[in-house]
Amino acid sequence: MRTRTYKETYSQLSSLFPYADTWAWYGVLMAIVLALPWLVPTYIFAYVTLVLIAVIGAVGLNIVTGTAGLISLGQAGFLAIGAYTTGILTTSYGWGLASAMLASGVASAAASLLVGIPSLRLKGLYLAITTLAFSIIVVHLINDADSLTGGSSGLPVRRPDLFGVVPMRSQMAMYFLSLAVAVLVILATLNLLRCRVGRAWAALHDYDIAATLMGINLVRYKLLAFAVSAFIVGLAGSLMALNIRYLNTDSFGLILSIEAIAMIIVGGLGSVRGAVLGAILITLLPDLSRWVLGQFGSFTGSLASGSAAEIKGIIYALVIMFFLRMEPEGLNHQWKRIKRFWSEWPYSH
Amino acid sequence: MIEAPKILEIRNLSKKFGGLQALSDVSIRVRQGEIASFIGPNGAGKTTLFNMICRLYQPSSGEIRFEDKNLLDFRPHHLARLGIGRTFQNLALFRHGTVIENLLVGMHAHLQAGVLAGVFRFGRAAAEERRAREEVERIVEFLEIEEIRNSPVSVLPYGLQKRVEMGRALATRPRLLLLDEMVSGMNQEETEDIARFVLDLRDELGLTVIMIEHDMNVVMDISDMVHVLNFGVPIASGPPAAVAADPAVIDAYLGRGGS
Ligand SMILES: Nc1ncnc2c1ncn2[C@@H]1O[C@H](COP(=O)(O)OP(=O)(O)OP(=O)(O)O)[C@@H](O)[C@H]1O
Ligand SMILES: [Mg+2]
Repeated sequence: MRTRTYKETYSQLSSLFPYADTWAWYGVLMAIVLALPWLVPTYIFAYVTLVLIAVIGAVGLNIVTGTAGLISLGQAGFLAIGAYTTGILTTSYGWGLASAMLASGVASAAASLLVGIPSLRLKGLYLAITTLAFSIIVVHLINDADSLTGGSSGLPVRRPDLFGVVPMRSQMAMYFLSLAVAVLVILATLNLLRCRVGRAWAALHDYDIAATLMGINLVRYKLLAFAVSAFIVGLAGSLMALNIRYLNTDSFGLILSIEAIAMIIVGGLGSVRGAVLGAILITLLPDLSRWVLGQFGSFTGSLASGSAAEIKGIIYALVIMFFLRMEPEGLNHQWKRIKRFWSEWPYSH
Repeated sequence: MIEAPKILEIRNLSKKFGGLQALSDVSIRVRQGEIASFIGPNGAGKTTLFNMICRLYQPSSGEIRFEDKNLLDFRPHHLARLGIGRTFQNLALFRHGTVIENLLVGMHAHLQAGVLAGVFRFGRAAAEERRAREEVERIVEFLEIEEIRNSPVSVLPYGLQKRVEMGRALATRPRLLLLDEMVSGMNQEETEDIARFVLDLRDELGLTVIMIEHDMNVVMDISDMVHVLNFGVPIASGPPAAVAADPAVIDAYLGRGGS
């Protein structure tokens, strides 16, 4: 049982993990994740790499859509900008890994201002459609600029050594790079959301007029939400490029944006932990459901593996509807309930 | 006795919504340290007046000066830094936050941390958070809401939510506080608490308070000045006793069952 803990100073109150055993649990988790490549076969931690990249993307999207309440279906566009920036800079211009990744974030953030500006006047569905259009335009532009991007025939991506010294060729290196970025992005976002900036985003989401009178400049903070979110999503795009080492605009379809929205809805809008849990669940879901369907016999099994994108779309739609209806606060809510149960055990009821 | 300088001066203010004249030619002066009440029947234009002071509505004509500044030069998000705080007639809390989080948002204009400082929580940013937290705790104590400081505001009863909203307005460090129907829907005890807070704010911190109120007991008890509006037209201004005795007021407002 975890007893009520009294805090003696305000800095204790505002620390990230107020309980000592929280640190211990995250330590254990970190140890497992760090040892993973030695514990499981390559294809498993290659899979976990995909999950980590999805986590980064979801944490990024959660800032603008979950916290600031600005619905974005532009995820695919920002991922594409991040991915192609890294692809072009490393392959055609010989940039280093770290600088190319940073440039991906910056490029994506800069592009986000283009969507951000109409967002100042648009809300809800209209904003969703605008961001969707942005995504489609980005993919078109990438296809058109084939001298730079390889167009429809695609772009092979070189994976340079990190800082010119750490070799990155192995899947293990890619795993650790994604892990490092994911951890940094999660910690940075947690910090950001509990300071003045994050509070301003949450406030303008809940009541924009009241937020204005608290001194929050709506224009600035909405654009900032888009930019910070897109920066993180750009990093995820960059990792995607480095991970698959071959870019094609087919990988940046609308389904990617839907997937990302599904992640943060399933996880619980506005919560970083929710975004992480949602990204894990949604990434695993197509494979899980394929396996489940396969258990019912070869017909349903082949159905599931047949038209992947369509099946995915249907699964996401069902999951989103299920969560909006049954658990609008998402996995994060369940997590809190379970945690409360255990921390009050044996007095929980 | 020397009169205190005026903190707010409204001159010939009018507001039209399409064909509706919500306010006509209103001129009101509020002195520093005064508790002023705006009263009038429903739809008289009281909230519209607040919305123009807060720059949410653009006046059709007229002037608003706060201290030595022309308020019409400013935008709504400047108000907190200028020193004007406000509560809303219908609750306008940040419903996903706790009491403390709502109050911390109130301090936004007086904090500095940007994205980078927030991400890294540098020494300065951390110290700033700590100071904000201390200041907010003082407001919590003043409003006697210690027990609920960590509750999500959405679970609180109406009266307490109103009190939190007052706290949030105080967190903007106002010199002029605008309260729109604070006590409506409150019971006797809650109403008396609010009246006491308003008096304390004036007496201890020198705040100037403008209340929009329908509760005549509160208005008569604690206001220094009462300004009466009727269909957007100012019909009387003066100390409570004088206004209550004004035939035009009795006719237009008190006479119509407005208690
Ligand atoms: N944004 C708006 N657009 C059109 N008409 C408005 C708007 N805001 C207020 N009005 C109208 O202006 C008039 C004054 O409204 P206001 O809200 O200022 O009244 P009030 O004195 O605050 O009334 P109450 O005591 O009911 O709160 C009303 O007739 C109202 O319908
Ligand atoms: Mg009103």
